[in-house]
Amino acid sequence: MSTTPLIEVRGLRKAFDDHVVLKGVDLSADDGTATALIGPSGSGKTTILRSLNVLEVPDSGTVRIADATIDFGDTSVDRSTRRDEVDALRSHSGMVFQSHHLFPHKTVLQNLLEGPVQVQGREVEEATADARRLLEQVGLDGREDQYPSQLSGGQQQRVGIARALALNPKVVLLDEPTSALDPELVGEVLAVVRDLATSGWTLVIVTHEIRFARDVADQVLFLDEGVIAERGGADVLHDPQHERTKQFLRRVLEPG
Amino acid sequence: MQQSRRALALVVLSWLVATVALTGGAASAETASSPAEARTVRVGTEGTYPPFTFHDPDTDELTGFDIEVIRAVADEAGWDLEFVEAPFDSIFPALDAGRVDVIANQITINPEREARYLFSAPYTYSRGVIVTAAGNDDVRTLDDIDGLVAAESETSNWAQVARDAGAEIRVVDQFAQAAELLVQGRVDVVVNDNIAVLDYLASTGSDEIEIVGDAGEDVGQQALTFRQDSPELQQEADDALARLADDGTLAGISEDYFGADVTIEDAAEVKDVTGSDTRSTPEVVRGAAWPMLKGLLVYTLPLTAASFAIGLVLALVTALARMSSNRLVQLPARVYISAIRGTPLLVQLFIAFYGLGQIGLTIPPVPAAMLALSLNVGGYAAEIIRGAILSVPRGQYEAATTIGMRYPQLMRRIVLPQAARIAVPPLSNTLLSLIKDTSLASVILVPELLRQAINAASPSADFMPLYLFAALYYWIVCFIVAQAQEPLERRLGRYVA
Repeated sequence: MSTTPLIEVRGLRKAFDDHVVLKGVDLSADDGTATALIGPSGSGKTTILRSLNVLEVPDSGTVRIADATIDFGDTSVDRSTRRDEVDALRSHSGMVFQSHHLFPHKTVLQNLLEGPVQVQGREVEEATADARRLLEQVGLDGREDQYPSQLSGGQQQRVGIARALALNPKVVLLDEPTSALDPELVGEVLAVVRDLATSGWTLVIVTHEIRFARDVADQVLFLDEGVIAERGGADVLHDPQHERTKQFLRRVLEPG
Repeated sequence: MQQSRRALALVVLSWLVATVALTGGAASAETASSPAEARTVRVGTEGTYPPFTFHDPDTDELTGFDIEVIRAVADEAGWDLEFVEAPFDSIFPALDAGRVDVIANQITINPEREARYLFSAPYTYSRGVIVTAAGNDDVRTLDDIDGLVAAESETSNWAQVARDAGAEIRVVDQFAQAAELLVQGRVDVVVNDNIAVLDYLASTGSDEIEIVGDAGEDVGQQALTFRQDSPELQQEADDALARLADDGTLAGISEDYFGADVTIEDAAEVKDVTGSDTRSTPEVVRGAAWPMLKGLLVYTLPLTAASFAIGLVLALVTALARMSSNRLVQLPARVYISAIRGTPLLVQLFIAFYGLGQIGLTIPPVPAAMLALSLNVGGYAAEIIRGAILSVPRGQYEAATTIGMRYPQLMRRIVLPQAARIAVPPLSNTLLSLIKDTSLASVILVPELLRQAINAASPSADFMPLYLFAALYYWIVCFIVAQAQEPLERRLGRYVA
């Protein structure tokens, strides 16, 4: 096994105006693993995820995915070089959003082809074949020509996952993929994500589904007030060491 | 940001393209200096002042006493004529701006004009008359019109005569309108040329207005009018007029039109004017239907289509610039939108046509109208498009970004198609307004639909049927355009459940 992790983040800092969201976060993830980011809202977990594809621009720190690295603290980099760096980093990840953000004016198939064909310049036929395979994988074969508005929330989110996979990324970033769904639709989406984890995709998931994280994650990072308060394997969730983690888990696992 | 620098370049570029495209045909035909070769001389005339300058009701050809005189002069002097028709009050500005080289429109010589312009030898000796509604016994001489309201063309000699006599002036574009105001009782008097009034009475058969007296003792002298920088044109015209007087051509033209020779001093009294347009109202409308349709097809619709297309491109560029985070890109867009929305379209048209002409940017009427109309559409539609773009959720930008798109591709493939659906209803309004706003181009010499109706109304005075007919044409076009809106909306919105 390679000793170099696929994802490496060092000293990540981010503030929105006066509010410091990330206070120096380090993390790494190996190829083929699933990493769950958990923690109370406002703890900075989504900001970490969005820093991995520069939807948020960190104030300082480095982010590396595979061979693409950005040192956000290095202000000597000119704009055009930085844009190229950002493009390179983004090309290694696909993103699944909380509220899917499918392109409403494009059919399911067109949503999947937009990245591979328009951005990556792949052959339409080949990309279409791949897209159909992915739709089958997420259980949506036969829906190719429907518009997102014609699908249920769970189906929409599964298309969102397939769209991210269609880019053939090294990492799939999932930002609370089930939080916007009706409870009865959560299961079908989690099943798809679980399937991804077992079939070798590298995942980084922000989630509130603790039981799911426990089942699926190889690595769990508990965030609190902009720092990683606790990290470990899934067993962290069974046997948390820190008081904050214990409190949080009590709250989310024993509602009421 | 590089993005906004590119947007700035785009704005500048599209302005340049638009400007070059619109002014490409602007090269004004400067008159050659050698009198030996035929030169093109542009003649400013109303085309709505029968029997001197008007459109023949049967053929729609420009004709009239002044038109025949200048044609005879051109034959003698070896000029090629190009007629430019404009409302009276636009003719002198057109001469000043170099859009026409000579005015043939019964221009009366007076001291004010002599100070600014060159005149040929007179080719008409006529007198002014005072006209009132029938049965008005109070007005007989100029002394009686002190304090009354007179309808005149602002810059005409008759307006000056009436003003000097103490009348208050209401400005009209043409004599037929003045006469109509008199008939409708909206003004008290009209001072105008004896022959023009007789022609009106003969054409309309009206007994609602009548000539009540002479406008002063003096006989007016009418002549061709030139800019002061064209003495050689004046000289050639004088030579030609002298020869035409000698060989009886001038007298012949006058006899044809007025049954008397008004081209010499001590002219015989003109009594027997047949009227330029003695047709019935249905005949007038039938006759005007084709010229109006032609004005619609050849000018109104192409002008609308071109202005809308150019305007939309301008609007898109402006909207994107307006949304830029770079102030240097944003500011010109803000100023442009504010200026367009803060000034009347009519003023914009005047600036594009007369204003630019005066500072050496002489743009022909149609491109000038296109320039003003597209800039106008651009300013309004920019805000519509901006609003539509802003209505596309933030998540769409993020999703497009995460699949690797940069700004131009993201705009083109993801944001604008969604914005288009939002923008269609308000843009349809803009288009419908534009179709009707092209009628304003009639005042900058574009012979579009409304101008054709105005031309037809001047000899016949059939205002109501002709303007209703013009309105019907506009309505039909707008109706058809509005019908297209729904299918378009359906097509752009087919993804909405």
